[in-house]
Amino acid sequence: MSTGPSSVPAAASDGTRPGAPGGLPGSAAAPEVLQVAGLRVAYGGNNALDLERLSLRQGEVLGVVGANGAGKSTLVNAIAGWSRGTPRVSGAVRLDGVDVSALPAHRRARAGLLLVPEGKLVFGQMSVDENLTVPGDVHDAPGRHVYDREEVFELFPRLRERRGHLGSQLSGGERQMLGIGRALMLGPRVLMLDEPSIGLAPRLVSAVLETMRTLAGKGLTILLVEQNVRAAIEVVDRLVLLERGRVIVEGTASEMRDDPRIAEAYLGGGHG
Amino acid sequence: MNLGQQFLNGLVLGHAYALVAIGWTVLLGVARLVNFGHGQMYMLGAFVTWFAISGLGLPYVLAIPVAIGAGILVGLVLQRVMLKATIDQNLVSIMIMTLGFGYVLHGAAALVFGSTGQILDTPLAQKELAFGDMWLTWQDIAIVVVAIVEFLVLKFVLDRTRIGRLVRMVAEDPKLAELAGVDIRRVYLAVFAFEGAAVAFAGAMVGPRTPILTSMGFEEVIMTFVVVVLGGIGSVFGSYVAGLALGLFTAFFGALISPAYTTAAAFAVLIAVLVLRPGGLAAGAR
Repeated sequence: MSTGPSSVPAAASDGTRPGAPGGLPGSAAAPEVLQVAGLRVAYGGNNALDLERLSLRQGEVLGVVGANGAGKSTLVNAIAGWSRGTPRVSGAVRLDGVDVSALPAHRRARAGLLLVPEGKLVFGQMSVDENLTVPGDVHDAPGRHVYDREEVFELFPRLRERRGHLGSQLSGGERQMLGIGRALMLGPRVLMLDEPSIGLAPRLVSAVLETMRTLAGKGLTILLVEQNVRAAIEVVDRLVLLERGRVIVEGTASEMRDDPRIAEAYLGGGHG
Repeated sequence: MNLGQQFLNGLVLGHAYALVAIGWTVLLGVARLVNFGHGQMYMLGAFVTWFAISGLGLPYVLAIPVAIGAGILVGLVLQRVMLKATIDQNLVSIMIMTLGFGYVLHGAAALVFGSTGQILDTPLAQKELAFGDMWLTWQDIAIVVVAIVEFLVLKFVLDRTRIGRLVRMVAEDPKLAELAGVDIRRVYLAVFAFEGAAVAFAGAMVGPRTPILTSMGFEEVIMTFVVVVLGGIGSVFGSYVAGLALGLFTAFFGALISPAYTTAAAFAVLIAVLVLRPGGLAAGAR
Protein backbone atom coordinates (compact mmCIF):
# COMPACT_ATOMS: atom_id res chain seq x y z
CA MET A 1 0.00 0.00 0.00
CA SER A 2 1.45 3.31 -1.03
CA THR A 3 0.93 6.19 1.33
CA GLY A 4 3.82 8.30 0.15
CA PRO A 5 3.56 12.01 -0.51
CA SER A 6 3.23 11.41 -4.26
CA SER A 7 -0.16 9.82 -3.70
CA VAL A 8 -1.39 12.72 -1.60
CA PRO A 9 -4.27 14.64 -3.17
CA ALA A 10 -3.19 18.25 -3.45
CA ALA A 11 -6.31 19.75 -1.98
CA ALA A 12 -5.89 17.88 1.26
CA SER A 13 -2.15 18.23 1.62
CA ASP A 14 -2.15 21.55 3.44
CA GLY A 15 -2.38 21.21 7.19
CA THR A 16 -3.27 24.84 7.76
CA ARG A 17 -6.16 25.44 5.44
CA PRO A 18 -8.51 28.38 5.34
CA GLY A 19 -10.99 28.21 8.15
CA ALA A 20 -8.58 26.13 10.15
CA PRO A 21 -6.21 28.74 11.57
CA GLY A 22 -3.64 27.95 14.17
CA GLY A 23 -0.23 26.40 14.40
CA LEU A 24 0.95 22.96 13.49
CA PRO A 25 -1.57 20.17 13.18
CA GLY A 26 -2.23 18.60 16.54
CA SER A 27 -0.11 21.13 18.38
CA ALA A 28 -1.41 22.94 21.43
CA ALA A 29 -2.11 25.99 19.27
CA ALA A 30 -4.32 24.13 16.80
CA PRO A 31 -8.05 24.70 17.27
CA GLU A 32 -10.18 22.15 19.03
CA VAL A 33 -12.25 20.40 16.41
CA LEU A 34 -14.18 17.94 18.53
CA GLN A 35 -15.32 18.49 22.09
CA VAL A 36 -17.24 16.00 24.16
CA ALA A 37 -18.70 16.92 27.54
CA GLY A 38 -20.67 14.94 30.08
CA LEU A 39 -21.25 12.06 27.69
CA ARG A 40 -23.22 9.26 29.33
CA VAL A 41 -24.42 6.10 27.64
CA ALA A 42 -26.53 3.36 29.20
CA TYR A 43 -27.78 0.07 27.85
CA GLY A 44 -30.83 -1.00 29.80
CA GLY A 45 -29.96 -0.05 33.35
CA ASN A 46 -26.20 -0.43 32.94
CA ASN A 47 -23.93 2.54 32.45
CA ALA A 48 -21.56 1.79 29.60
CA LEU A 49 -19.87 5.17 29.47
CA ASP A 50 -19.45 8.16 31.76
CA LEU A 51 -17.08 10.67 30.26
CA GLU A 52 -16.53 14.12 31.76
CA ARG A 53 -14.54 15.71 28.98
CA LEU A 54 -12.63 14.80 25.87
CA SER A 55 -11.34 17.02 23.10
CA LEU A 56 -9.34 16.67 19.92
CA ARG A 57 -7.28 19.33 18.20
CA GLN A 58 -7.02 19.70 14.47
CA GLY A 59 -4.60 17.20 12.93
CA GLU A 60 -4.27 15.23 16.13
CA VAL A 61 -4.44 11.45 16.40
CA LEU A 62 -6.01 10.42 19.69
CA GLY A 63 -5.88 6.78 20.67
CA VAL A 64 -8.51 5.28 22.93
CA VAL A 65 -7.43 2.02 24.49
CA GLY A 66 -8.84 -0.30 27.08
CA ALA A 67 -9.96 -3.84 27.64
CA ASN A 68 -12.98 -5.47 26.05
CA GLY A 69 -16.15 -3.86 27.38
CA ALA A 70 -14.33 -0.77 28.62
CA GLY A 71 -16.63 1.44 26.55
CA LYS A 72 -14.35 2.25 23.59
CA SER A 73 -16.87 1.41 20.87
CA THR A 74 -19.64 2.92 22.95
CA LEU A 75 -17.67 6.17 23.00
CA VAL A 76 -17.15 6.51 19.24
CA ASN A 77 -20.67 5.28 18.47
CA ALA A 78 -22.14 7.88 20.82
CA ILE A 79 -20.04 10.63 19.24
CA ALA A 80 -21.32 9.50 15.82
CA GLY A 81 -24.90 9.30 17.12
CA TRP A 82 -25.01 5.72 15.94
CA SER A 83 -25.59 2.29 17.35
CA ARG A 84 -26.84 -1.10 16.28
CA GLY A 85 -28.55 -1.35 19.64
CA THR A 86 -30.79 1.10 21.49
CA PRO A 87 -28.69 2.90 24.08
CA ARG A 88 -29.74 5.96 26.05
CA VAL A 89 -27.27 8.73 25.34
CA SER A 90 -26.92 12.12 26.98
CA GLY A 91 -24.29 14.82 26.90
CA ALA A 92 -22.83 17.27 24.42
CA VAL A 93 -20.83 16.60 21.27
CA ARG A 94 -19.47 19.72 19.57
CA LEU A 95 -17.95 19.76 16.13
CA ASP A 96 -16.09 23.02 15.46
CA GLY A 97 -18.02 24.50 18.34
CA VAL A 98 -21.42 23.49 17.02
CA ASP A 99 -23.47 21.14 19.18
CA VAL A 100 -24.41 18.17 17.00
CA SER A 101 -25.81 15.96 19.76
CA ALA A 102 -29.38 16.40 18.52
CA LEU A 103 -28.50 15.32 14.96
CA PRO A 104 -29.15 11.78 13.69
CA ALA A 105 -26.18 9.72 12.51
CA HIS A 106 -26.47 10.50 8.79
CA ARG A 107 -26.52 14.25 9.48
CA ARG A 108 -23.44 14.00 11.67
CA ALA A 109 -21.72 12.02 8.91
CA ARG A 110 -22.55 14.75 6.41
CA ALA A 111 -21.31 17.36 8.87
CA GLY A 112 -17.92 15.63 8.76
CA LEU A 113 -18.10 13.43 11.84
CA LEU A 114 -17.26 10.06 10.29
CA LEU A 115 -17.18 6.65 11.90
CA VAL A 116 -15.68 3.51 10.40
CA PRO A 117 -17.36 0.97 12.67
CA GLU A 118 -16.10 -2.28 14.05
CA GLY A 119 -17.34 -5.49 12.46
CA LYS A 120 -19.45 -5.09 9.35
CA LEU A 121 -18.16 -1.99 7.59
CA VAL A 122 -18.72 -2.70 3.89
CA PHE A 123 -21.76 -3.64 1.82
CA GLY A 124 -21.05 -7.27 0.98
CA GLN A 125 -23.45 -7.53 -1.95
CA MET A 126 -22.04 -4.46 -3.68
CA SER A 127 -18.79 -4.07 -5.58
CA VAL A 128 -15.87 -1.98 -4.32
CA ASP A 129 -16.81 0.73 -6.83
CA GLU A 130 -20.41 0.69 -5.69
CA ASN A 131 -19.36 0.74 -2.04
CA LEU A 132 -17.55 3.97 -2.79
CA THR A 133 -20.82 5.85 -3.25
CA VAL A 134 -22.03 8.68 -1.06
CA PRO A 135 -24.95 11.10 -1.37
CA GLY A 136 -24.34 13.67 -4.08
CA ASP A 137 -24.77 16.75 -1.95
CA VAL A 138 -21.56 16.69 0.10
CA HIS A 139 -18.99 19.25 -0.95
CA ASP A 140 -15.62 20.62 0.07
CA ALA A 141 -15.74 23.14 2.90
CA PRO A 142 -13.07 24.97 4.90
CA GLY A 143 -11.07 22.31 6.69
CA ARG A 144 -12.86 19.50 4.86
CA HIS A 145 -11.86 17.78 1.66
CA VAL A 146 -14.34 15.51 -0.07
CA TYR A 147 -12.32 12.74 -1.74
CA ASP A 148 -13.45 11.40 -5.06
CA ARG A 149 -13.10 7.74 -6.00
CA GLU A 150 -9.81 8.36 -7.84
CA GLU A 151 -8.24 9.95 -4.77
CA VAL A 152 -9.33 6.98 -2.66
CA PHE A 153 -7.67 4.67 -5.20
CA GLU A 154 -4.49 6.77 -5.05
CA LEU A 155 -4.44 6.34 -1.28
CA PHE A 156 -5.32 2.63 -1.47
CA PRO A 157 -4.11 1.27 -4.84
CA ARG A 158 -5.20 -2.19 -3.71
CA LEU A 159 -8.83 -1.09 -3.93
CA ARG A 160 -8.40 -0.10 -7.56
CA GLU A 161 -7.21 -3.63 -8.33
CA ARG A 162 -10.26 -5.02 -6.55
CA ARG A 163 -12.79 -2.46 -7.77
CA GLY A 164 -15.02 -5.02 -9.51
CA HIS A 165 -15.07 -7.45 -6.58
CA LEU A 166 -17.94 -7.68 -4.13
CA GLY A 167 -17.46 -6.37 -0.61
CA SER A 168 -17.99 -9.89 0.71
CA GLN A 169 -14.98 -11.12 -1.30
CA LEU A 170 -12.54 -8.70 0.31
CA SER A 171 -9.97 -9.50 2.97
CA GLY A 172 -10.13 -7.81 6.37
CA GLY A 173 -7.51 -5.26 5.39
CA GLU A 174 -9.25 -4.43 2.13
CA ARG A 175 -12.51 -3.92 4.02
CA GLN A 176 -10.78 -1.46 6.32
CA MET A 177 -9.44 0.44 3.33
CA LEU A 178 -12.90 0.47 1.76
CA GLY A 179 -14.55 1.68 4.96
CA ILE A 180 -11.96 4.43 5.35
CA GLY A 181 -12.25 5.29 1.66
CA ARG A 182 -16.00 5.78 1.86
CA ALA A 183 -15.59 7.93 4.97
CA LEU A 184 -13.05 10.11 3.12
CA MET A 185 -15.58 10.60 0.32
CA LEU A 186 -17.90 12.28 2.82
CA GLY A 187 -15.26 14.90 3.61
CA PRO A 188 -14.32 14.05 7.18
CA ARG A 189 -13.49 16.75 9.70
CA VAL A 190 -12.99 14.03 12.30
CA LEU A 191 -12.40 10.41 11.35
CA MET A 192 -13.14 7.78 13.98
CA LEU A 193 -11.88 4.24 13.50
CA ASP A 194 -13.12 1.43 15.68
CA GLU A 195 -10.50 -1.29 15.98
CA PRO A 196 -9.14 -1.09 12.44
CA SER A 197 -6.42 -3.62 13.24
CA ILE A 198 -8.73 -6.39 14.40
CA GLY A 199 -8.05 -9.62 12.55
CA LEU A 200 -5.34 -8.07 10.37
CA ALA A 201 -1.85 -9.45 9.77
CA PRO A 202 0.83 -7.35 11.56
CA ARG A 203 2.12 -5.99 8.25
CA LEU A 204 -1.36 -4.69 7.38
CA VAL A 205 -1.87 -3.25 10.85
CA SER A 206 1.13 -0.99 10.45
CA ALA A 207 0.06 -0.09 6.91
CA VAL A 208 -3.42 0.95 8.06
CA LEU A 209 -2.00 2.88 11.01
CA GLU A 210 0.58 4.60 8.81
CA THR A 211 -2.25 5.76 6.59
CA MET A 212 -3.75 7.39 9.69
CA ARG A 213 -0.49 9.27 10.19
CA THR A 214 -0.52 10.39 6.55
CA LEU A 215 -4.08 11.65 6.81
CA ALA A 216 -3.38 13.42 10.09
CA GLY A 217 -0.40 15.09 8.41
CA LYS A 218 -2.87 16.65 6.02
CA GLY A 219 -4.82 18.17 8.89
CA LEU A 220 -7.38 15.47 9.47
CA THR A 221 -8.34 14.85 13.08
CA ILE A 222 -8.43 11.19 14.01
CA LEU A 223 -9.86 9.23 16.90
CA LEU A 224 -8.50 5.73 16.91
CA VAL A 225 -9.99 2.98 19.05
CA GLU A 226 -7.53 0.14 19.49
CA GLN A 227 -6.96 -2.93 21.56
CA ASN A 228 -3.57 -3.27 19.97
CA VAL A 229 -1.88 -0.74 22.25
CA ARG A 230 1.62 -1.64 21.12
CA ALA A 231 0.78 -0.71 17.53
CA ALA A 232 -1.44 2.24 18.40
CA ILE A 233 1.11 3.95 20.63
CA GLU A 234 3.46 4.24 17.65
CA VAL A 235 1.09 6.46 15.67
CA VAL A 236 -0.98 8.41 18.17
CA ASP A 237 -0.20 11.85 19.62
CA ARG A 238 -2.18 11.26 22.77
CA LEU A 239 -3.65 8.22 24.44
CA VAL A 240 -6.68 7.75 26.66
CA LEU A 241 -7.11 4.62 28.74
CA LEU A 242 -10.71 3.66 29.42
CA GLU A 243 -11.83 1.27 32.11
CA ARG A 244 -15.45 0.45 32.82
CA GLY A 245 -16.63 3.46 30.86
CA ARG A 246 -14.36 5.98 32.59
CA VAL A 247 -11.09 7.64 31.68
CA ILE A 248 -8.41 6.19 33.95
CA VAL A 249 -5.40 7.97 32.55
CA GLU A 250 -4.71 10.36 29.70
CA GLY A 251 -1.50 11.74 28.26
CA THR A 252 0.85 12.07 25.32
CA ALA A 253 2.11 8.92 23.69
CA SER A 254 5.55 9.24 25.24
CA GLU A 255 4.16 9.88 28.72
CA MET A 256 1.88 6.92 28.37
CA ARG A 257 4.60 4.62 27.18
CA ASP A 258 6.21 5.09 30.60
CA ASP A 259 2.98 4.95 32.56
CA PRO A 260 2.97 1.85 34.72
CA ARG A 261 -0.78 1.30 34.22
CA ILE A 262 -0.29 1.10 30.46
CA ALA A 263 3.01 -0.73 30.59
CA GLU A 264 1.76 -3.31 33.04
CA ALA A 265 -1.48 -4.08 31.37
CA TYR A 266 -0.72 -3.68 27.68
CA LEU A 267 2.95 -3.40 26.84
CA GLY A 268 4.68 -5.70 29.30
CA GLY A 269 2.70 -8.87 28.77
CA GLY A 270 1.88 -10.78 25.66
CA HIS A 271 -0.94 -8.50 24.64
CA GLY A 272 0.92 -7.15 21.60
CA MET B 1 -57.59 -26.41 -27.56
CA ASN B 2 -55.45 -23.69 -29.04
CA LEU B 3 -52.06 -23.90 -27.41
CA GLY B 4 -50.75 -20.86 -29.27
CA GLN B 5 -53.58 -18.77 -27.86
CA GLN B 6 -52.92 -20.10 -24.37
CA PHE B 7 -49.26 -19.18 -24.76
CA LEU B 8 -50.24 -15.63 -25.73
CA ASN B 9 -52.68 -15.43 -22.82
CA GLY B 10 -49.99 -16.67 -20.47
CA LEU B 11 -47.49 -14.16 -21.80
CA VAL B 12 -49.88 -11.25 -21.28
CA LEU B 13 -51.02 -12.53 -17.88
CA GLY B 14 -47.39 -13.03 -16.85
CA HIS B 15 -46.46 -9.46 -17.73
CA ALA B 16 -49.58 -8.28 -15.90
CA TYR B 17 -48.48 -10.19 -12.77
CA ALA B 18 -44.99 -8.75 -13.05
CA LEU B 19 -46.37 -5.23 -13.50
CA VAL B 20 -48.61 -5.59 -10.45
CA ALA B 21 -45.76 -7.06 -8.38
CA ILE B 22 -42.93 -4.62 -9.18
CA GLY B 23 -43.72 -2.14 -6.40
CA TRP B 24 -43.86 -4.82 -3.75
CA THR B 25 -40.61 -6.32 -5.02
CA VAL B 26 -38.83 -3.05 -4.33
CA LEU B 27 -40.65 -2.55 -1.03
CA LEU B 28 -39.68 -6.01 0.12
CA GLY B 29 -36.13 -5.79 -1.19
CA VAL B 30 -35.30 -2.38 0.22
CA ALA B 31 -37.45 -1.92 3.28
CA ARG B 32 -38.00 -5.63 4.13
CA LEU B 33 -41.69 -4.88 4.21
CA VAL B 34 -44.71 -6.87 3.22
CA ASN B 35 -47.80 -4.92 2.21
CA PHE B 36 -51.00 -6.93 2.34
CA GLY B 37 -52.88 -3.77 1.35
CA HIS B 38 -51.19 -4.08 -2.04
CA GLY B 39 -54.25 -5.65 -3.72
CA GLN B 40 -56.57 -2.88 -2.55
CA MET B 41 -54.06 -0.29 -3.75
CA TYR B 42 -54.27 -1.99 -7.15
CA MET B 43 -58.07 -1.77 -6.95
CA LEU B 44 -57.84 1.90 -6.09
CA GLY B 45 -55.56 2.56 -9.08
CA ALA B 46 -58.09 0.94 -11.39
CA PHE B 47 -61.02 2.86 -9.88
CA VAL B 48 -59.28 6.23 -9.89
CA THR B 49 -58.49 5.65 -13.57
CA TRP B 50 -62.12 4.71 -14.18
CA PHE B 51 -63.39 7.77 -12.32
CA ALA B 52 -60.98 10.10 -14.12
CA ILE B 53 -62.31 8.83 -17.44
CA SER B 54 -66.03 8.46 -16.78
CA GLY B 55 -66.42 11.05 -14.01
CA LEU B 56 -63.98 13.77 -15.02
CA GLY B 57 -64.05 13.06 -18.73
CA LEU B 58 -60.28 12.81 -19.03
CA PRO B 59 -58.71 10.77 -21.82
CA TYR B 60 -57.06 7.47 -20.76
CA VAL B 61 -53.51 8.79 -21.13
CA LEU B 62 -54.26 11.59 -18.67
CA ALA B 63 -56.25 9.35 -16.33
CA ILE B 64 -53.13 7.20 -15.80
CA PRO B 65 -51.05 9.98 -14.16
CA VAL B 66 -54.06 10.88 -11.99
CA ALA B 67 -54.16 7.26 -10.77
CA ILE B 68 -50.39 7.28 -10.20
CA GLY B 69 -50.74 10.49 -8.19
CA ALA B 70 -53.43 8.91 -6.03
CA GLY B 71 -51.22 5.83 -5.61
CA ILE B 72 -48.27 7.94 -4.44
CA LEU B 73 -50.53 9.69 -1.94
CA VAL B 74 -51.74 6.35 -0.54
CA GLY B 75 -48.15 5.08 -0.42
CA LEU B 76 -47.04 8.13 1.56
CA VAL B 77 -49.93 7.80 4.00
CA LEU B 78 -49.03 4.14 4.48
CA GLN B 79 -45.40 5.11 5.04
CA ARG B 80 -46.26 7.67 7.71
CA VAL B 81 -48.40 5.14 9.52
CA MET B 82 -45.78 2.42 9.28
CA LEU B 83 -42.50 4.31 9.70
CA LYS B 84 -41.79 3.23 13.24
CA ALA B 85 -42.72 -0.38 12.58
CA THR B 86 -40.52 -0.28 9.44
CA ILE B 87 -37.44 0.97 11.24
CA ASP B 88 -38.01 -1.48 14.09
CA GLN B 89 -38.72 -4.25 11.57
CA ASN B 90 -41.74 -5.32 13.57
CA LEU B 91 -43.03 -7.77 10.98
CA VAL B 92 -46.13 -9.01 12.76
CA SER B 93 -47.39 -5.46 13.30
CA ILE B 94 -46.59 -4.61 9.70
CA MET B 95 -48.57 -7.58 8.41
CA ILE B 96 -51.65 -6.80 10.49
CA MET B 97 -51.44 -3.06 9.84
CA THR B 98 -51.19 -3.44 6.06
CA LEU B 99 -53.97 -6.02 6.04
CA GLY B 100 -56.15 -3.57 7.96
CA PHE B 101 -55.07 -0.71 5.73
CA GLY B 102 -56.29 -2.73 2.74
CA TYR B 103 -59.69 -3.17 4.32
CA VAL B 104 -59.90 0.54 5.10
CA LEU B 105 -59.13 1.27 1.44
CA HIS B 106 -61.75 -1.25 0.37
CA GLY B 107 -64.40 0.39 2.59
CA ALA B 108 -63.46 3.90 1.50
CA ALA B 109 -63.53 2.90 -2.18
CA ALA B 110 -66.95 1.25 -1.81
CA LEU B 111 -68.22 4.42 -0.16
CA VAL B 112 -66.90 6.67 -2.93
CA PHE B 113 -67.25 4.49 -6.02
CA GLY B 114 -70.15 2.22 -4.98
CA SER B 115 -70.02 -1.55 -4.85
CA THR B 116 -71.30 -2.34 -8.31
CA GLY B 117 -68.91 -3.64 -10.95
CA GLN B 118 -67.60 -1.21 -13.56
CA ILE B 119 -65.93 -1.55 -16.91
CA LEU B 120 -62.70 0.39 -17.22
CA ASP B 121 -62.89 1.08 -20.89
CA THR B 122 -59.86 2.29 -22.80
CA PRO B 123 -59.35 2.96 -26.50
CA LEU B 124 -56.72 0.20 -26.59
CA ALA B 125 -58.92 -2.47 -25.00
CA GLN B 126 -61.37 -2.35 -27.90
CA LYS B 127 -58.84 -2.85 -30.68
CA GLU B 128 -57.86 -6.42 -31.39
CA LEU B 129 -54.94 -7.81 -33.25
CA ALA B 130 -55.27 -11.26 -34.83
CA PHE B 131 -52.64 -13.66 -36.14
CA GLY B 132 -54.45 -16.56 -37.81
CA ASP B 133 -56.72 -17.99 -35.13
CA MET B 134 -54.88 -16.24 -32.28
CA TRP B 135 -55.74 -12.78 -31.05
CA LEU B 136 -55.02 -10.22 -28.39
CA THR B 137 -55.95 -6.59 -27.74
CA TRP B 138 -53.71 -3.56 -28.01
CA GLN B 139 -54.20 -3.15 -24.26
CA ASP B 140 -52.52 -6.57 -23.87
CA ILE B 141 -49.63 -5.42 -26.03
CA ALA B 142 -49.36 -2.21 -24.02
CA ILE B 143 -49.19 -4.25 -20.79
CA VAL B 144 -46.31 -6.35 -22.15
CA VAL B 145 -44.42 -3.31 -23.43
CA VAL B 146 -44.79 -1.13 -20.31
CA ALA B 147 -43.93 -4.08 -18.04
CA ILE B 148 -40.69 -4.70 -19.94
CA VAL B 149 -39.82 -0.99 -20.03
CA GLU B 150 -40.59 -0.53 -16.33
CA PHE B 151 -38.42 -3.49 -15.33
CA LEU B 152 -35.54 -2.34 -17.53
CA VAL B 153 -35.70 1.21 -16.17
CA LEU B 154 -35.88 -0.04 -12.58
CA LYS B 155 -32.93 -2.38 -13.12
CA PHE B 156 -30.94 0.43 -14.70
CA VAL B 157 -31.69 2.85 -11.87
CA LEU B 158 -30.82 0.32 -9.16
CA ASP B 159 -27.62 -0.87 -10.82
CA ARG B 160 -26.23 2.17 -12.52
CA THR B 161 -27.25 5.33 -10.71
CA ARG B 162 -26.10 6.91 -7.47
CA ILE B 163 -29.66 6.89 -6.11
CA GLY B 164 -29.95 3.18 -6.93
CA ARG B 165 -26.73 2.37 -5.09
CA LEU B 166 -27.79 4.33 -2.03
CA VAL B 167 -31.13 2.49 -2.07
CA ARG B 168 -29.28 -0.84 -2.26
CA MET B 169 -27.11 0.19 0.68
CA VAL B 170 -30.28 0.73 2.73
CA ALA B 171 -31.60 -2.62 1.49
CA GLU B 172 -28.49 -4.48 2.63
CA ASP B 173 -27.72 -2.72 5.89
CA PRO B 174 -29.71 0.39 6.86
CA LYS B 175 -27.56 1.08 9.93
CA LEU B 176 -24.35 1.06 7.92
CA ALA B 177 -26.05 3.23 5.26
CA GLU B 178 -26.61 5.89 7.93
CA LEU B 179 -22.84 6.09 8.40
CA ALA B 180 -22.52 6.61 4.64
CA GLY B 181 -24.62 9.74 5.11
CA VAL B 182 -27.81 8.23 3.75
CA ASP B 183 -31.08 9.52 5.18
CA ILE B 184 -32.83 6.15 5.43
CA ARG B 185 -36.20 7.76 6.21
CA ARG B 186 -36.12 9.52 2.86
CA VAL B 187 -35.25 6.27 1.13
CA TYR B 188 -38.17 4.51 2.83
CA LEU B 189 -40.42 7.40 1.80
CA ALA B 190 -39.32 7.07 -1.81
CA VAL B 191 -39.79 3.31 -1.77
CA PHE B 192 -43.35 3.62 -0.45
CA ALA B 193 -44.10 6.30 -3.03
CA PHE B 194 -42.79 3.97 -5.73
CA GLU B 195 -44.87 1.08 -4.40
CA GLY B 196 -47.99 3.28 -4.49
CA ALA B 197 -47.23 4.67 -7.94
CA ALA B 198 -46.32 1.32 -9.47
CA VAL B 199 -49.33 -0.60 -8.22
CA ALA B 200 -51.73 2.22 -9.20
CA PHE B 201 -50.11 2.28 -12.64
CA ALA B 202 -50.63 -1.49 -12.83
CA GLY B 203 -54.28 -0.98 -11.88
CA ALA B 204 -54.67 1.53 -14.71
CA MET B 205 -53.00 -0.83 -17.20
CA VAL B 206 -54.28 -4.25 -16.14
CA GLY B 207 -57.71 -3.16 -14.80
CA PRO B 208 -59.26 -2.87 -18.29
CA ARG B 209 -58.78 -6.62 -18.86
CA THR B 210 -61.63 -7.55 -16.50
CA PRO B 211 -64.64 -5.85 -14.91
CA ILE B 212 -63.50 -3.95 -11.82
CA LEU B 213 -65.03 -4.19 -8.35
CA THR B 214 -64.13 -2.38 -5.15
CA SER B 215 -64.03 -5.80 -3.47
CA MET B 216 -61.21 -7.02 -5.71
CA GLY B 217 -57.60 -7.15 -4.59
CA PHE B 218 -57.31 -10.52 -2.86
CA GLU B 219 -56.40 -12.39 -6.03
CA GLU B 220 -53.85 -9.68 -6.92
CA VAL B 221 -52.18 -9.63 -3.51
CA ILE B 222 -51.93 -13.42 -3.49
CA MET B 223 -50.44 -13.60 -6.98
CA THR B 224 -48.04 -10.76 -6.15
CA PHE B 225 -46.96 -12.60 -3.03
CA VAL B 226 -46.26 -15.71 -5.09
CA VAL B 227 -44.31 -13.68 -7.67
CA VAL B 228 -42.07 -11.83 -5.20
CA VAL B 229 -41.34 -14.93 -3.15
CA LEU B 230 -40.81 -17.14 -6.20
CA GLY B 231 -38.56 -14.52 -7.77
CA GLY B 232 -36.36 -14.32 -4.71
CA ILE B 233 -37.04 -11.63 -2.13
CA GLY B 234 -36.28 -8.24 -3.61
CA SER B 235 -34.86 -9.55 -6.88
CA VAL B 236 -36.07 -7.33 -9.73
CA PHE B 237 -35.09 -9.68 -12.51
CA GLY B 238 -36.38 -12.66 -10.53
CA SER B 239 -39.79 -11.03 -10.16
CA TYR B 240 -40.05 -10.51 -13.88
CA VAL B 241 -39.18 -14.14 -14.60
CA ALA B 242 -41.45 -15.40 -11.84
CA GLY B 243 -44.34 -13.24 -13.07
CA LEU B 244 -43.92 -14.58 -16.56
CA ALA B 245 -43.64 -18.18 -15.36
CA LEU B 246 -46.70 -17.82 -13.15
CA GLY B 247 -48.69 -16.28 -16.03
CA LEU B 248 -47.82 -19.13 -18.38
CA PHE B 249 -48.48 -21.69 -15.67
CA THR B 250 -51.88 -20.15 -14.86
CA ALA B 251 -52.91 -19.99 -18.52
CA PHE B 252 -51.93 -23.59 -19.32
CA PHE B 253 -53.19 -24.97 -16.02
CA GLY B 254 -56.51 -23.19 -16.58
CA ALA B 255 -56.80 -24.49 -20.14
CA LEU B 256 -55.54 -28.03 -19.62
CA ILE B 257 -56.85 -28.84 -16.13
CA SER B 258 -59.28 -26.35 -14.65
CA PRO B 259 -59.39 -22.58 -14.21
CA ALA B 260 -61.09 -23.10 -10.83
CA TYR B 261 -57.91 -24.35 -9.14
CA THR B 262 -55.26 -22.06 -10.58
CA THR B 263 -54.72 -20.08 -7.36
CA ALA B 264 -54.45 -23.29 -5.36
CA ALA B 265 -52.05 -24.70 -7.93
CA ALA B 266 -49.96 -21.52 -7.88
CA PHE B 267 -49.59 -21.93 -4.12
CA ALA B 268 -48.65 -25.59 -4.53
CA VAL B 269 -45.87 -24.50 -6.92
CA LEU B 270 -44.76 -21.80 -4.47
CA ILE B 271 -44.53 -24.27 -1.61
CA ALA B 272 -42.67 -26.77 -3.75
CA VAL B 273 -40.17 -24.14 -4.87
CA LEU B 274 -39.64 -22.87 -1.35
CA VAL B 275 -38.92 -26.39 -0.13
CA LEU B 276 -36.50 -27.09 -2.97
CA ARG B 277 -34.96 -23.61 -3.35
CA PRO B 278 -35.61 -21.54 -0.23
CA GLY B 279 -34.13 -18.40 -1.79
CA GLY B 280 -36.59 -18.43 -4.68
CA LEU B 281 -35.95 -19.28 -8.32
CA ALA B 282 -33.49 -16.46 -8.87
CA ALA B 283 -31.62 -16.88 -5.59
CA GLY B 284 -28.35 -15.05 -5.85
CA ALA B 285 -29.38 -12.87 -8.78
CA ARG B 286 -30.62 -9.38 -8.27
